[in-house]
Amino acid sequence: VFCCCAGAGQDVGRSCILVSIAGKNVMLDCGMHMGYNDDRRFPDFSYITQNGRLTDFLDCVIISHFHLDHCGALPYFSEMVGYDGPIYMTHPTKAICPILLEDYRKITVDKKGETNFFTSQMIKDCMKKVVAVHLHQTVQVDEELEIKAYYAGHVLGAAMFQIKVGCESVVYTGDYNMTPDRHLGAAWIDKCRPDLLISESTYATTIRDSKRCRERDFLKKVHETVERGGKVLIPVFALGRAQELCILLETFWERMNLKAPIYFSTGLTEKANHYYKLFITWTNQKIRKTFVQRNMFEFKHIKAFDRAFADNPGPMVVFATPGMLHAGQSLQIFRKWAGNEKNMVIMPGYCVQGTVGHKILSGQRKLEMEGRQILEVKMQVEYMSFSAHADAKGIMQLIRQAEPRNVLLVHGEAKKMEFLKQKIEQEFHVSCYMPANGETTTILTNPCIPVDISLGLLKRETAIGPLPDAKKPKLMHGTLLMKDNSFRLVSPEQALKELGLAEHQLRFTCRVHIQEPRKEHEAVLRVYNHLKGVLKDYSVQHLPDGSITVESILIQVTAHSEDQGTKVLLVSWTYQDEELGSYLTSLLKKGLPQSTP
Amino acid sequence: YRDLHTFELQAPTRLIEWARGSRVCVAGYGQSDVNEILQLIPPPTLQTKETQGLCPERDFKVECGGFSKRPVYSLKYVPDTSLLVTSGPPDSSLQVWQVSAEDSDVIKSVSTIATENGTGQSWAKIATISTRAPWVLHGSRLDRVQITEVESRKNVYTAASRGSEELSGLAFLDCNTLLLCCTTGQLCLADVRQPQSPMEAVSVPLAPCSEQWCVGTRHGAQGLEPSSQLVARLSSRGLLILTDLRKTSESLASAKARVPSPGSGAEFLCVSWAPALEGCLAISGFDGTVHVYDTQSWDSSGKEAEPIFIHKGHAFGGAGGSGDPPVVTVHTWHLQKPRTLLSAASDGSLHVWDWVQPCGKC
Repeated sequence: VFCCCAGAGQDVGRSCILVSIAGKNVMLDCGMHMGYNDDRRFPDFSYITQNGRLTDFLDCVIISHFHLDHCGALPYFSEMVGYDGPIYMTHPTKAICPILLEDYRKITVDKKGETNFFTSQMIKDCMKKVVAVHLHQTVQVDEELEIKAYYAGHVLGAAMFQIKVGCESVVYTGDYNMTPDRHLGAAWIDKCRPDLLISESTYATTIRDSKRCRERDFLKKVHETVERGGKVLIPVFALGRAQELCILLETFWERMNLKAPIYFSTGLTEKANHYYKLFITWTNQKIRKTFVQRNMFEFKHIKAFDRAFADNPGPMVVFATPGMLHAGQSLQIFRKWAGNEKNMVIMPGYCVQGTVGHKILSGQRKLEMEGRQILEVKMQVEYMSFSAHADAKGIMQLIRQAEPRNVLLVHGEAKKMEFLKQKIEQEFHVSCYMPANGETTTILTNPCIPVDISLGLLKRETAIGPLPDAKKPKLMHGTLLMKDNSFRLVSPEQALKELGLAEHQLRFTCRVHIQEPRKEHEAVLRVYNHLKGVLKDYSVQHLPDGSITVESILIQVTAHSEDQGTKVLLVSWTYQDEELGSYLTSLLKKGLPQSTP
Repeated sequence: YRDLHTFELQAPTRLIEWARGSRVCVAGYGQSDVNEILQLIPPPTLQTKETQGLCPERDFKVECGGFSKRPVYSLKYVPDTSLLVTSGPPDSSLQVWQVSAEDSDVIKSVSTIATENGTGQSWAKIATISTRAPWVLHGSRLDRVQITEVESRKNVYTAASRGSEELSGLAFLDCNTLLLCCTTGQLCLADVRQPQSPMEAVSVPLAPCSEQWCVGTRHGAQGLEPSSQLVARLSSRGLLILTDLRKTSESLASAKARVPSPGSGAEFLCVSWAPALEGCLAISGFDGTVHVYDTQSWDSSGKEAEPIFIHKGHAFGGAGGSGDPPVVTVHTWHLQKPRTLLSAASDGSLHVWDWVQPCGKC
């Protein structure tokens, strides 16, 4: 299995991993680095092949979830670089990807005026190449390559993928989370024992503050602001953590009997509700204790927002898109509320450089808007991260579930992963790799090759010796025939027959010199009596022609041509009697005992 | 509380040690042969003086880690070096480790300081100082106390003692003076410059029963103000005795803490002075709570004292009702933030909490 990271590796920005397994080439994720404004934001596809066509080289592309650092470069890859093969992803991912891609395209092209970027049409064309898959459904990419998606938690539709060719397999986790939250379950995989598990390790070195403390602090801030009559703005992406926070606020409002209104941006509500209802099974996967029976997206305290409400007096909480305050409704509301120090804006996640969100998080309090207008930011700016990734404990849990033979870590920082690498190697006795961008890791596998055994051989071998015991391995002998793409284990005779070969007989002869002055026929008798005495369990015979046989081994005594005192014993045996033959020879070499008559 | 953060370690720890750069070190004490030593970078909330409610980084980061074949019961950094020393059963030998966080995130085992193993030797208590050279003071019993130079592993000092009681703690009061506390509660002082003269027993608690004692001195040998001569002893029955080492003939003050009885043994008894609050100390090890006391109003009557704050978080741990309730294994004060403490319990929880002084005194 060859694994090469064209993004990810030790880079937390973009994910793009190439795997070559039993001759099949698969690309895992195709992400964009949100921090760069030039071509560095895309993975380096020249790693794949210098001059060949990507469509010919790659058997398929798999996208794990809709975050832009995993799918952001997909339209560029398929439409601008050129790829026409299949692209696999889960149904929710297929539905949501184009929305986020279009959103991002709008900012990059319309707001920033960039030209070397994919177009709306390209996004549409790219999505036409997508084949959507269900969880735990085995999908045959071709005769030999199959893939299967597993639930990953993290965001709606996120999946871990198993890629299998024959009996070799690789599992790619994408981003995953091992603890369930309010609207998603925890990642789960069966004991599929892949040759390689590729796991993200972004939070591997983190010991996370408990969710209760985070939520408590978030609710405290919101509550304090609302209590003093202020307004809280929470810019969110259309789908993702927004739903989690809504459930949290709804529960809190209910418990504390709060009256201040909570609004969810227009368009956002319908879209989100639509997708969550469509993919409701995705939210209920493996949620054991927190199984939600009612439709949790029908809120009592959260209503649809209208632009006019932003001017209403009094406290309120508003969820508005987009998430980085870079355009649209959230930016409009922000401009209205920024001047009042009673208000608060809570940024729920990472903000790309250049956006208003990024600026205010960096501490900027005077912003230049269109038409050279300066906006003074007096409202409180807070940041909180509720992202769901696996920590070291979670990674160990997943490895324990899947039982891979090798582990490869991506998305972390190499120097700081030596400890985790040793931890994994010690606990699971597997090899752990941490490649850099562009580095190829080769993993040697021990594939199991199925072999048919002939019934006759099986019957014959089991009849010999002790009875078959499930706990003890039994040694069998046979001949392995590799013919016409099939492997068969047959008896040697059968093999010889099929191959048209004649059986060879091997015969050994050995000359043993002994001191024996008596005449030949007396010497023969002496040897015969000696052997009969020692080899009581064997058939020792004195034949009329003067030779001695021990079982099927022949012994003949002749006088030495030059020395009368020496006799030459000719010992002859077949290959099958090798053991006895060798034993006899050593025995005879010791000479005859004096007392034998 | 002004603030409360709860974390879950993969394995419980019975030590929390501060290191250079606000780092914190914890280590596993399980009986298996793989225990982790973790050097953590605390979240920015702990590093600044002001507490922020929402913060981008609220998590501890594992900066580097090591693997110990034996349970780690005690760990001390060697000042001015990149070394640390650990000890733990089954014997009283010490393990020396190297931390080089810039190059790699693995804490490497460097050497072992062996000690003679008599019968019934438990693990060594340790203290470190680097005034003259990197030294480690160690021993499991009163008659086995010695100072070893960490890098050369040469013995620099061996204490002469008449008794062989088991030690519960030891410390450098300054680069020449050692304080030793036995599990019987007896305190001894020794002078490094006079190895021949036996150590001076300075104080034995009245009517000692079968309780066990531990000791708390004001932090490290760095702060050498007169107040660093104040020592607190805590017994497994909840008795607290404060002693001024300049006037050891009588105890300065004593009180009784309200603790569950019978106590859960003395294994995790811990008493420590607040570095930035005059007269404040904290105790733990009886159950899932940490008590904070203001000792300034105490007298020598030994009557029951009211804690000014009780941290109960570990008792309500998220682990649920299975098994025994967790016991706080160790606690420590933040070195700069006056009312912030860190505490760990037997269920792997690690709490960082900041309490509010109840009656207005700040």
